[in-house]
Amino acid sequence: MSISIENLTKRYGALTVVHGISFTVAKGEFMSLLGPSGCGKTTTLRCIAGLEDADGGVIRIGEGIVSAPEQGVVVPVHERQIGMVFQSYAIWPHMTVAGNVGFPLAIRKVSAADVEKQVDEALEIVGMRHLRERHPSQLSGGQQQRVALARAIVGRPQVLLFDEPLSNLDAKLREGTRAEIKRLQRELDVATVYVTHDQEEALSMSDRVIVMDGGRITQAGVPKELYRRPANRFVADFVGRASFIDIMRVNGAGWATTGGTKLRLDDAGAPPAERYQAMLRPESVDICGGSASAQADDAVNVLHGHVVESHYLGAYTEYHVEASGSRVKVHSRDDFDVGTEVTLRFAPEFCRLVALSGEAR
Amino acid sequence: MSEQTLSAQGLPAARAARRSGTSGVLTALYWVTFALVLAMVSIPVIALVYGSFRTSAPGLPGEWTLRNYAGLASSGVLSSMTTTLIIGLFTSVLSIIVGTAIALILHRTDFRYSRIVMPLIGLTFYFPSFILAMAWIIVGAPGGIYNSIVDDMLGMPWLRADIYTAFGIVFVMVLHQVPFVYLTMRGPIIGMDPIFEEAANASGAKPHEVLTRITLPLLGYSVISSFILTFVMTIEQFAIPALLGIPGQVTMLATQLYLLVRFSPTDYGLAAAIGVALSLITGAAIWAQRRVTTAGRLTTVTGKAGRMKAIPLGRWRWAANLLCFGFVFLGLVMPMVILLYTSVLKWFTVNPFEGMYTLRNYVFIWESGSTLRSFTNTLIVSGVGAAAGVLLGLLCCYFTLRLRPRGYRTLDFLVSLPFGVPGVVLGLGLLWAYAYLPLPLYGTLTLMIVAFVTRFLPYATETIGGQMVQIDKSLEEAAWVNGATRIKGVTKILLPLVSPSLQGAYFLLFMAFFREISSAILIYSVNTSVISISIWSFFEQANWGLASALAVVATLIIFIAMALIMRLVPTARRG
Repeated sequence: MSISIENLTKRYGALTVVHGISFTVAKGEFMSLLGPSGCGKTTTLRCIAGLEDADGGVIRIGEGIVSAPEQGVVVPVHERQIGMVFQSYAIWPHMTVAGNVGFPLAIRKVSAADVEKQVDEALEIVGMRHLRERHPSQLSGGQQQRVALARAIVGRPQVLLFDEPLSNLDAKLREGTRAEIKRLQRELDVATVYVTHDQEEALSMSDRVIVMDGGRITQAGVPKELYRRPANRFVADFVGRASFIDIMRVNGAGWATTGGTKLRLDDAGAPPAERYQAMLRPESVDICGGSASAQADDAVNVLHGHVVESHYLGAYTEYHVEASGSRVKVHSRDDFDVGTEVTLRFAPEFCRLVALSGEAR
Repeated sequence: MSEQTLSAQGLPAARAARRSGTSGVLTALYWVTFALVLAMVSIPVIALVYGSFRTSAPGLPGEWTLRNYAGLASSGVLSSMTTTLIIGLFTSVLSIIVGTAIALILHRTDFRYSRIVMPLIGLTFYFPSFILAMAWIIVGAPGGIYNSIVDDMLGMPWLRADIYTAFGIVFVMVLHQVPFVYLTMRGPIIGMDPIFEEAANASGAKPHEVLTRITLPLLGYSVISSFILTFVMTIEQFAIPALLGIPGQVTMLATQLYLLVRFSPTDYGLAAAIGVALSLITGAAIWAQRRVTTAGRLTTVTGKAGRMKAIPLGRWRWAANLLCFGFVFLGLVMPMVILLYTSVLKWFTVNPFEGMYTLRNYVFIWESGSTLRSFTNTLIVSGVGAAAGVLLGLLCCYFTLRLRPRGYRTLDFLVSLPFGVPGVVLGLGLLWAYAYLPLPLYGTLTLMIVAFVTRFLPYATETIGGQMVQIDKSLEEAAWVNGATRIKGVTKILLPLVSPSLQGAYFLLFMAFFREISSAILIYSVNTSVISISIWSFFEQANWGLASALAVVATLIIFIAMALIMRLVPTARRG
């Protein structure tokens, strides 16, 4: 079953929080909605689930329309056959683990024996079978998370919805659970919408990512494309770390920094805009010590500057280099003191042209 | 810090000086508070227990005896005990069902008139029980409005009903208790994280299945707690069973106690024994309630409340409307209209077209010195008493929650004890006590204030303590670190932060004192009569018109005060 959304609009009173967005999630596809808080991603997910009533547009799950307010169609939540994992897990404190996981089945009048069997299966999948008679208050956060997961998959739902399911877990646990959710989703082969504000989560788990801002889709694409070719500065900034250099057109087709250094960069398919910047990912920039004199003046993609800040992060050091009127972030394993003269180099394919956000959406 | 500059020998001395300097005052204050609360709570209780072992009335020579406790096993007392428990049980069950249903309708569904019904239920909560009972007597007595209509006008005598029955008592008590249940259930219902219900909904549960399998079980502990408190308030309720039960000879323990003291043949000893027995029942119930609330802290309350989509009422909308508006009509609007009507009649008649209308009852209130005096008495008792109660409550909260000196647990226990002592029993205890004590308190307004403050001290400590525990201790500690003494920390930091709850507590006590009757009925004298007693006396003399006029005025004062304070003090809105 797939999910398709056309022109989804949601308002709270005079405030429009989702501005007519459209996208589809194919069967078996893992789609993330990524964005800062208040961007409309959770509202979109809740509209798909039916926990919020959409104000406009059409939502389909499989072939069936579940929400089309203009046509007066609204299928209630409990008839949409979804599996959903909530941010705070929503494990019912008055039921045991087995009671929680079995609820979606019991409520659909599945026979007691089948409920037992399927609950055991689901708990086995998340590795919680030995705790089936426990009460939620006796479980850790990670265990509650697993129970929530088991409850979401037990009814063989048509679609899986995740509302920031990992944000309450600590970092170590989060990585393990990430892999597990991904594995489960592959096995079940269902359309999945995953809401998160964590770009690492979105990039590592998803087949495709939709970046949202202000109730609109800013960019949709596979993770690599999103990271390497962000559509605008907002996406570039939100997905990964990036530095931006003001640039201008020279001789009609070429590019140069405002300081006159020539640049070769990846400008394929960039949207038209009045002002542009070049985006550099810190890990794609080479840094070496030494002053400008050794270099020829017409060198391409070479910037000179000096280190103004240094943050030692263990695996590497992040340097902020003042070069050509901008601050460039660089990750390096070499040691430089603050104030050192350095030279930066980068390959054209890792220097991406971005339109300034707000001017091209 | 100045201490760093002190020499090694000077340092301990400075510290010792500081400790005794600031907490000396607090220690003294603590022991004064402790002694005061101990006296207020233990004197009536000890006197009551003493009285229950005596053969004679208070102040008269008598002997030690167990006769009074043997009297508890007499058929009369046993039957009123059974009546009390049955009426209490029925009232509590019905109140819980209606009150919880109204709370769910108002706060979980797309009911359209929440903004109208909510304040009306708030008003009903402050509608005094004896005034409600009077109104329903005018309606439901054998010669009352309802029976005249069905019998004389409609000619359907089989529809006749009598309010002077156990059924009548339960009916009026439910009307009186539902707002309490509503107010205690509202918090848990509003505060419940809707995510539990949404998860069930997403799991395929229909709205009514969500209600029965998730919402109600999660509210379980709150329901049980509210049920027990309602039960306690019902069996210690005095005015309703006295007004309705005495004419119909339906005797509950509280009314039996009152009859034994007020009407001959009096038996103060047996009354005291009944008081002890009643207190044991209510005390045990409250102990159970405390256990339930501490055991039942399920993690259902988070900060994210209120996002829940309202449950559509659909084709049950008419039932929700009928329940909410029907309750407000029976519990508030109709009684008020009836009292207003009765108060302007020269002679009582059912047919408003045959009535002779007059304002003489209102004129009488204005002209009668004793009635005016009861008004001023009430204002003094409520105004001054509430201030004293808030001050004492604040001190108790500070000592039991913050300072925690030696014996604070005992203080905490003493403060909560009056919760378990019915008002009329407290009155009887004071009656016994001040017959022996050399204090010239009997027949003074001070005794009235002492009785009221003792009875409602837990209201003050619950309100103030509820806010005080939420104020992080580090706020005071930060003040100390920055050079403030203990007392400065209290006056500059703690007091300003808890002041909303002080205002709320004052409001609550003022209201409670204004309409209190059960603890006053046995200790008032001609000079210390309060409004509630005056209304009661006029009604007992069958002067319905005057009683109604006085009740209308008193109710209006209560409602106006409530409206004023709701406007001035936002925190008072939580009731």
